[in-house]
Amino acid sequence: MNNKNNILEMDNVVKIFGGLKANNGVSFEVEKGEIRGLIGPNGSGKTTLINQITGIYDTTEGHIRYKGKKINGLQPDVIAAMGIMRTFQVARVFLNMTVLENMLIPAFTQGQSNNEANTRAEELLDFALLSRLKNKPTKSLSGGQFMLLQIVRGFMRKGLELYVMDEPFAGVHQSIKGIIIKSIKMMNQDKNVTFLIVSHEMATISSLCSKVTVLDKGARIAEGSMKEVANIPEVIDAYLGG
Amino acid sequence: MNLFHTKYLVFLILVLFAAFLPMYIGEYWQYVLTIAFFYAILAASWNLLSGYTGLFSLGHHSFGMIGAYTSTLLMTKAGIPFWMSIPAGILLTMLMSSLMGIMCLRVSGLYLALITWAFAEVARNYFRLHYTFTGGDRGLESPLLFGTIQPTPYYYLFLGLLIATIILIVLIMRSRIGYYLKAIRDDSIAARSMGVNIVRYKIFAFAVSSGLAGMAGAFYGHSIGLISPIMGDFNEMAMIIIFVVIGGIRTMPGPVIGAIAVRILMELLRAQSEVRILILSLLVIIIMRFFNGGLLELYRQIKQWINKDKNGGTSAYHEIETPKQGES
Repeated sequence: MNNKNNILEMDNVVKIFGGLKANNGVSFEVEKGEIRGLIGPNGSGKTTLINQITGIYDTTEGHIRYKGKKINGLQPDVIAAMGIMRTFQVARVFLNMTVLENMLIPAFTQGQSNNEANTRAEELLDFALLSRLKNKPTKSLSGGQFMLLQIVRGFMRKGLELYVMDEPFAGVHQSIKGIIIKSIKMMNQDKNVTFLIVSHEMATISSLCSKVTVLDKGARIAEGSMKEVANIPEVIDAYLGG
Repeated sequence: MNLFHTKYLVFLILVLFAAFLPMYIGEYWQYVLTIAFFYAILAASWNLLSGYTGLFSLGHHSFGMIGAYTSTLLMTKAGIPFWMSIPAGILLTMLMSSLMGIMCLRVSGLYLALITWAFAEVARNYFRLHYTFTGGDRGLESPLLFGTIQPTPYYYLFLGLLIATIILIVLIMRSRIGYYLKAIRDDSIAARSMGVNIVRYKIFAFAVSSGLAGMAGAFYGHSIGLISPIMGDFNEMAMIIIFVVIGGIRTMPGPVIGAIAVRILMELLRAQSEVRILILSLLVIIIMRFFNGGLLELYRQIKQWINKDKNGGTSAYHEIETPKQGES
C-alpha cells in the first residue's frame, strides 16, 4: 500500500451528498509516471473522485495521499501549488481574457517571471497550434479549442507532477484529439508527468493507458489492462446494466 | 504598444484640459465638476470590484458615507486633525469591507448583492437613528478642508484624487493581481484550480475598492461642509451603477466618462427636474438595448463603421468580433 513509487493513494474514500453516496469506499493507487485511465458508467463517481483529489470537495471519510501526504480537505489552490493540475469535463477557460492571458495564470500564481511564463506559453501554444489566436479573446475559440487550451494551460505549471483530466476527448474534433494525445504522451515521456484520465473513449484509453481503474456505483470494481478488465463479468454488467 | 502610447497621450491631454478648465468656467460649474469627480471615483472603484472582479456589490455607496462620517466625527468629537482623521476613515472602510468580503466569500450574484445591500441599509439607518451622535437626518456639519466654500481648491483636490484613483486601478489591473481578479470573475473554480488564492484576492478587491470609496467620501464631507445619511441612500448606488453601465463596465475610462457625462447632463437638465430622471432612464434603456458596452462601445462601433467605409467594407475589428461559435 505505502509503496514509494505511488504518487497518488486513495484510501477508502467516501463522499456523501445528502442521502447520495457518490463514492463508497474507493481505494486504489497510481504509480509515478503512469498514465492511468479511470472509467465507469455515468454516475459511477468518477468526477466526484477527481473533485476530491483536487480540493473542490472535501471527502466525507477516508484519505487521499499525494506523495505520501494527506491532501483531502486542502484548498484547490494549495493542491495546485503542490504540482497537481486538472481539467474539467466542460472546459473551464477564462472567456473574457485572451488565449495568452489564460496560459499565464498558472505560471503567475507559481511566481514564474514574465519572461519565463511568456516563453513557455508561446512554446505550448505553438505545439497546440493556437499561436495565431494568442491575442484573441478566448470566447472567440471553438469548443474543441476550449478543451485544448484548458489542457495546455495546465502544462504551464513548472514541476507539474500529476495531471488529472476529466473527459479530455469528449466532443472534440479528431485533429484536436490527436494534439491532446500527443501532448499527454510527450509530457509523460519527457517530464515524467503522471496522468489520471477519466474518459468514455475506450479505444483511446486502451491505447494510452497501460492500466485502467473501473468504478461502478461509487466503488472500485476492477483494475488492470483494458483487455483484462473488459473480460471481468462485473465490468460487463456495469456497462450493460445487467 | 503604440495603442498604449495613444491612450496615455489622450489621458495626459484630458488631465491638462481639466487642470486649465477652472480658468474658463465659473464657480458653479467648478462645483458641478467637483461633485462629478467624486462620483467618478465611486464609479471607477465599484468597477474594480463589480466590473473587473465580478463581485456585484450594492453597498459601495455606504463606504463613501462611512468614510465621510468617520473622518468628520473624529474631527468634531475627538478633535483629531485632517491628516489623521481622513486616513482613519479610509482604514475603517477597508477593515469593514474586508470583513464583509470574508462574510461573502461563499456567495455570489444575487446573494452577494442582497448581503451588501442589507449592510448598506444597516449603516445608513445607524447614522439616521443614532442622531445624538451623528446628527441623524438633519446631517452633520463637517469642517472644511481649505476653510472656504470657494470651489476651486476642492476642484483640484478631487481632480487629483480621481487621477490617483485611475492610476492605482490601472496599475492593479496591469499587474498579476489584475489577471487574478479577471480570472476570478470569469470562473472562480478554474482560477482556484490554477493556483489563484481567491480568498486573498476577493478580500483585496473589497478592501481596495471600498478604501477608495471611503477616501472619496471623507474628502467629500470636508469639501461640502455637510454630510447626511442621504449619502447612503440606495439611489446613490443606483446612480453609481448607471454611471458605470452608461460609460462602459469593465473598461478603465468608462466609469469616469459615464459619471462626468451624466452629472453634466443632469445639471443641464436641472431646470426640467421632472423630466431629467425620465431622460436618464430612457438613455439607460437605449444604451442597454443597442450598445450594452456603454458609451465606449458606441465609440468603438462608430470607429468600426468609419474604418469599414475607409477600407471598402473590411474592418480590422470585424475579424476579431465575428467568430462566436464557442460562446454557447
